[in-house]
Amino acid sequence: MGGILSRENIIRWAALLVLLALIALFTALNPAFLSQRNLARIAIAAAPAMMVALGVTFVIVMGSIDLSMEGAVSLAAVLFCLLFVKLGGALLPWGWLAVPVIVLFGAFYGMLTGLVHVRLKIPSFMASLAMGFVGTGAAVMITGGEIVRIGDSTFRMLLTWRILGYPLMVYVAIACIFVALFIQKHTVLGRNFYAIGGGEELAHASGVNVRAVRIAGFALAGAFYAIGAIFQVAKLGQAEAATGANFMFVSITSVVVGGVALWGGVGGVWNAVVGVLIVNVIANGMVVIGLPNFLQDGVLGVLVILAVVLATDRRAVAFVK
Amino acid sequence: MYELRAVEKKFPGVHALKSVDFKIARGEIVGLVGENGAGKSTLMKVIYGAYQPDGGQILIDGKAVRFANPRQAMEKGIGMVFQEQSLIPNLTVMENIFLGYQEQFTRLGVIDWKAMAAAARKQLAKVKLDIDPRMVTSALSFAQRQLVELAKVLTLEERVEGDLVILLDEPTSVLNKEEVALLFKLVRELTSRASFIFVSHRMDEVMDLSDRIYVMKDGQVMDVLARGQAEAPEIQRKMVGRDIDREYYREQKQVPYDADKVLLELSGVGISGRIEDISLKLHAGEVLCLVGTEGSGREAILRTIFGMVQPAEGEVRIDGAVQPRLTPGSAVARGVGYVPRERKIEGIVSGMNVYENMTLSQLGRYSSWGVLAVGREKALARDWIAKLKIKAHSEYADCGNLSGGNQQKVVLAKWRSGGSRIVLLDHPTRGLDIGAKEDVYDMIREMSADGVGVVLVADTLEEAIGLSHTIVVLKDGAIQHVFDCRPGAKPSLFDLLHHMI
Amino acid sequence: MNLQQIRQYMPWIALVVLVALVGIANPGFLRPANLLGLAGDIVPLFIMALGLTFAIYIGGIDLSVQSMANMITVVASVYLASLGGWVAVLCVGAGFALGMLSGFVTTRLFVPSFISTLAVGGICFSIAQWLSGNRALNMDAEQRNAVFGWMIGRTGIIPNELFIAGALLAICLFIERRTTLGRAFKAVGAGELAARASGINVARYKILAFAISGALAAIAGLMFSVKLSGGAPTIANGFLLPAIVAVLVGGTPLTGGVGGVLNTMIGTLIVAVIRASMLYFGIEATQQQMLFGLVLIVAIATTIDRSKLRTVK
Repeated sequence: MGGILSRENIIRWAALLVLLALIALFTALNPAFLSQRNLARIAIAAAPAMMVALGVTFVIVMGSIDLSMEGAVSLAAVLFCLLFVKLGGALLPWGWLAVPVIVLFGAFYGMLTGLVHVRLKIPSFMASLAMGFVGTGAAVMITGGEIVRIGDSTFRMLLTWRILGYPLMVYVAIACIFVALFIQKHTVLGRNFYAIGGGEELAHASGVNVRAVRIAGFALAGAFYAIGAIFQVAKLGQAEAATGANFMFVSITSVVVGGVALWGGVGGVWNAVVGVLIVNVIANGMVVIGLPNFLQDGVLGVLVILAVVLATDRRAVAFVK
Repeated sequence: MYELRAVEKKFPGVHALKSVDFKIARGEIVGLVGENGAGKSTLMKVIYGAYQPDGGQILIDGKAVRFANPRQAMEKGIGMVFQEQSLIPNLTVMENIFLGYQEQFTRLGVIDWKAMAAAARKQLAKVKLDIDPRMVTSALSFAQRQLVELAKVLTLEERVEGDLVILLDEPTSVLNKEEVALLFKLVRELTSRASFIFVSHRMDEVMDLSDRIYVMKDGQVMDVLARGQAEAPEIQRKMVGRDIDREYYREQKQVPYDADKVLLELSGVGISGRIEDISLKLHAGEVLCLVGTEGSGREAILRTIFGMVQPAEGEVRIDGAVQPRLTPGSAVARGVGYVPRERKIEGIVSGMNVYENMTLSQLGRYSSWGVLAVGREKALARDWIAKLKIKAHSEYADCGNLSGGNQQKVVLAKWRSGGSRIVLLDHPTRGLDIGAKEDVYDMIREMSADGVGVVLVADTLEEAIGLSHTIVVLKDGAIQHVFDCRPGAKPSLFDLLHHMI
Repeated sequence: MNLQQIRQYMPWIALVVLVALVGIANPGFLRPANLLGLAGDIVPLFIMALGLTFAIYIGGIDLSVQSMANMITVVASVYLASLGGWVAVLCVGAGFALGMLSGFVTTRLFVPSFISTLAVGGICFSIAQWLSGNRALNMDAEQRNAVFGWMIGRTGIIPNELFIAGALLAICLFIERRTTLGRAFKAVGAGELAARASGINVARYKILAFAISGALAAIAGLMFSVKLSGGAPTIANGFLLPAIVAVLVGGTPLTGGVGGVLNTMIGTLIVAVIRASMLYFGIEATQQQMLFGLVLIVAIATTIDRSKLRTVK
């Protein structure tokens, strides 16, 4: 072990190098890529996805997976809009209450997913997929397929109020990244995610309450999805049952491409951040250099396979379902 | 101060502990030896709280206690240093030491890393390990990890009132000589803080370290020996017990093999870290037994012959032809059959019936253009059910519901009906009752009479001696000695043990 | 009869009970024409579920089926004009090849199947968007009728789709019960390690199972596009959930090895009856997805074989 070219180092830095290389490539092809305007565009596009990716990172670090984000984001976004409107339709005096309520709701929803997974002993990918369907279904049911709008300009300041050229949302997102980093590095919960991901049975034998930590992980993920949903509403000014569409593929891809290992214990918030930036740089860069943006999903598909393959320690894998 | 009285433990079909008495005094080091399956690991699990005894008592300082789980045992001062590395590799050393007990360093869920590091340093000092507690565990050497595990267990000292009992399960298996010496020195010093139960395959180490030695066999304590009371051979004899019954192993049916016909030949086969320079020949009608302790390379050899692992060097010849890239599929096609140790997982497919299991290795023979000839499959199954007296209601019986002995018969029938000429048997009698064992012995004799070559990894040494024509003794992945085992001139247990350990 | 044996028949019992319930509430439901029409409508979903069964039967999952069907609707709409009837071959071939790709990535590159198929689904989605230019496409009505008209007509009162579904079911049932392929699938699903220790090339069979899943998803997509006389990159969205529900409710658990294509037929019929019953009981269509999501959770929880999962991750 050790040495600059060790596995650990390659995994840690490879994603960042890829990100820098991509930025260099797109800038070379079109210098406008690096313009402040375009960077702001990338940042805005990345902010909601970043929140979702942060949430799922904790779950993946535990060695589980959460595929419920589409339903969670849709439902949280729809409920947020409805509640916001109900509370007067303006951030002040009471509309702001919708923010903590919906974040709590997201945590509750995530907790349900965790309960279904842990209590019914269903593999997490299926439990969360099913809960995602339930979430989207609930959103359809609540809205009846309609779009709910929010016109409050104070709330939309998340998007419209720019500091140094970047909207407020970006700064809030950065703050959330630091919160996530803090949870990862300095809390018992965060460290227990790593303990479970690194060796579930060992953690259990050492007295870690694995079930409770699992459920808490999903709840935490749910809270971040709700923040992502609020960003998405701020960005679009509306919510519907399809608000969460495509978040699953993009966020999982981001996290995995950033170097968070699917079997758990490796990587973290930092990797998720880099991964989200890679994915958004690719999406934006393809447009900037004039490629059709619908190639994006295909490129991401290939990328995610490559990332998993590169990060997988073959010797450690007995067989894969 | 810690005592077990008449402890019993039963599992379905196995009486794992039979009225075991066990005692350990303050500051004592007690050795625990026995063959595989003698009940050592069950006893340890009872001691550290992973199993609850079905009968008998656990006493600490004369008071009866009961542990629902390892954590409760820990709270009474009983800690376990696991054989498998039980540290979580992606966490730091200090996190591993205090895993599950972080509360003492946390406020509102936030960890005070400085306090934890200081406390970890204190624990590491107990085992004289001078490393940064913030290091990631995966960067440590095996010996260092072993010491960190010990340090982790020693945290009990501060948490528990009263005395500590620490179990060391094969702590030396991955250490070199100097590291073992250091560990032993440390353990002796630590007897001022704790008592130790030491489990190892290496007899010399057990004798070196222990004040008393418990010898186990068949779930019972055979003897308790104080230091210097017995020599290694005597202990080994107590471990393996009774003399060999020639009838039992069908020795009268053992006929010489055909020395001119080599079915299988390994020359210089090696896999780094597992086996090295293995050369052997298997003849038609020969039973060749691989003998050695756990991890001596027996399984690796079987799996190499079956194509499940690729040798890094050397070559495998079947019928004289070199097999450069053997896979399980091509091995089967060349007449190799494999009866794995994990019968329920690798032997039979539970959920499939008898005929489906029997033809699984030979689907090509029971189909044309990919369409199965189910009638012929069923006929085959009925035939073998009768021939081997398999207790199944019909060929439609789910193999998962058969008894162990009958499952094993199905697996053997799979290979024999497919005409395998080289059969690899990995612990074929494990977990079977006596009658079923005898059936398996009969089948082995029948196979060699038919000219099949058998490579056997036996469950016990007696079985190995009784059944084989040739015994190959392995140690640390290399061949130590080869015995010829003609009836009447078989080696003794001690001859084998001498080369094994 | 013990619980284990009863469990086998649960899907059948559930189907009969559901049909009876709806029939009592609304006798019109039981009219043959109504039942046949209902069955005919669900055929594309059934074919997709049929393929998915193989992926689940071997202990994997194929999350790409919906994107696959989406892509095929576009492929069929774009190439019908130039290829005529041969477009069917192109569709099935593409489905088979992309399914193989999923299988290859899963088995040879050790990527869990839910990720590999998600990724392949992403590739399908891209292809669909690229081919369609991200628009909804229409088939030439005349040409569609000439080439694929037989798919969607009626013979007597029986919708022609049902013959196709019956034929595919018969083929799949034959593969499952009477061929070495089906036997190998079962062995891989019920005991992968034992199958390997019997000399079976597990990876090859897994790749084939995913390929079959892809091919059948393609047929489903083709039929769907013929029915709608067009295609779009998201036109089949909403298929994935009921398809998974159909397989699992039918009694093929997520852990594989048990159940099979006949179970999937029952499962699909259950899905169809639930859908129909919602109409009769006045439950709005908007609540359907939520209901199916809950049904899915119950179905997994009751069918999954937990003895096969060492730790539930």
